[in-house]
Amino acid sequence: MRLKSKKAERAVVWAVWIVAIIALWELGAYTLDAVLHDPMAPAKLPYFHSVVLGLVSYAGQLFSAMLVTYSRALIGFLIGTAVGFFLAILMSLSKTMEDIAFPYLIASQMIPVLGLAPIIFTLVRDMDTSRIVIAAYITFFPVAVNTLSGLKAVDPLKKDLMYSYAAGTPTIYQKLNLPFAAPYLFAGLKIAAPLSVTASILVDMLGSSSGIGVQLMYSLYGGLKDLFWAAVVMCAFMGLISYYIVVALERIFVPWARRKEA
Amino acid sequence: MSTTEQAALHTGHTSTAAPRNEIRIEDLTVQFPDNKGGEPVVALSNVSLDIRRGEFISLVGPSGCGKTTLLRAIADLQQPTSGRIIVRGLFPREIRMQKKYGIVFQSPVLYDWRTVRRNVCMPMEIMGIPKKQRTATVTEMLELVGLYNFGTKYPHELSGGMQQRVGIARALAVKPEILLMDEPFSALDEFTKEKLQEDLLTIWEKTQKTIVFVTHSISEAVFLSDRVVVLSPHPGRLSAVVDIDLPRPRSLQTKQMPEFYEYVNKIRNSFEGV
Repeated sequence: MRLKSKKAERAVVWAVWIVAIIALWELGAYTLDAVLHDPMAPAKLPYFHSVVLGLVSYAGQLFSAMLVTYSRALIGFLIGTAVGFFLAILMSLSKTMEDIAFPYLIASQMIPVLGLAPIIFTLVRDMDTSRIVIAAYITFFPVAVNTLSGLKAVDPLKKDLMYSYAAGTPTIYQKLNLPFAAPYLFAGLKIAAPLSVTASILVDMLGSSSGIGVQLMYSLYGGLKDLFWAAVVMCAFMGLISYYIVVALERIFVPWARRKEA
Repeated sequence: MSTTEQAALHTGHTSTAAPRNEIRIEDLTVQFPDNKGGEPVVALSNVSLDIRRGEFISLVGPSGCGKTTLLRAIADLQQPTSGRIIVRGLFPREIRMQKKYGIVFQSPVLYDWRTVRRNVCMPMEIMGIPKKQRTATVTEMLELVGLYNFGTKYPHELSGGMQQRVGIARALAVKPEILLMDEPFSALDEFTKEKLQEDLLTIWEKTQKTIVFVTHSISEAVFLSDRVVVLSPHPGRLSAVVDIDLPRPRSLQTKQMPEFYEYVNKIRNSFEGV
């Protein structure tokens, strides 16, 4: 009974928030357009309903563009996760390895994607591959760093227990270190998933022929403000969706992480 | 005197005799390096002790007396600075590699991602025991500690006392020959503690394992043990070994015997002498 009313309460809070934001949005757009008579009003802040209409009328176009970007981002994300995970295990196995690799990891994140993307493109000469490489590049860092901190945070008594049973390193990783670090890995994935999508969109904009970023550029230069705003909203959604996919996977694969919080 | 010990004495002249000493600690010193580069901290200083096979022996003392360090040294979780430990004629490392130790820590040290059954099962998986046998042993162990109906629960769904019992079941599941227990009951409420103490004695009487039991509770040590080893702190050293000649099997009535109090007082006085 209490649980139910709590759920209902949360639903009400959400509903009020959403309605309030839409109302504020419409009010802001109205102020710009009808009160201040700003000629750039549709570009600065279009009406909420016109963005929704834009989304509806360009739905097919945007959806296929989204799929292109998403699929590249996903491949890159998976590769980046694998690389990051592998690096974390290597670094946890050897302190020397960690000392060697960690400064490079940090340095790699200092290079802006905007600068890196043209270099990658020049190297691979293929837009799809560049998108995948950039998404992987963005993903591997939070995955490696978070997984490593998880592997290093294993409770020493739990390790002593493994040691007392004369367990070998592969067994210790399989039965203790990896399950222990899994919630940390997911923390990294939650950061990486929206980032890899954003990076893919960015690469789209640097001269791709397909993808949601192209829609952004095309509408921006073509003065198609409804399409532009619809694409922006779409991009935000893509980031959100990727985040919640990771959250859902976390609930399936590491249910104990949530139970611990509760 | 335990039956195994008598057996050992009677057959002492033959070559097939079981060694009288299960664990021999010779002049053991353990130092921890000081992180700030100062003098090393001496956790144990020149401790010598013989532990008999099948004996229930307790290590008591205030914090800082090195009782946990001594247990960890026997378990090969801590390397001695000097001196040595011989277990059944071998070094602790070899005994550990032969998987003859069962360890119960102060906290249950359960794996959150495993159910109760799978936690108890874990050491058997490492040892490569066939699945069918594992399942049977898990059932047997959970019945022994009275948690049969909780096999499918996760650790966080159990009370502290139940979690500790899972830890004990896990340690017993691989039939260790030497059970090392580091203040296993110290975090539990009085009722659970008394119940588990009696359970532990029942298990010990049934299985005749050697048990080394660390505690800071004098009455717990007297109630459980054949001998109580008193350690004093800074540096940790052996200050007294007291034989507890109370009849077995022991029960709550034991705790009301005048002799029980005498032993408790005797040990307490040996602390004050420190």
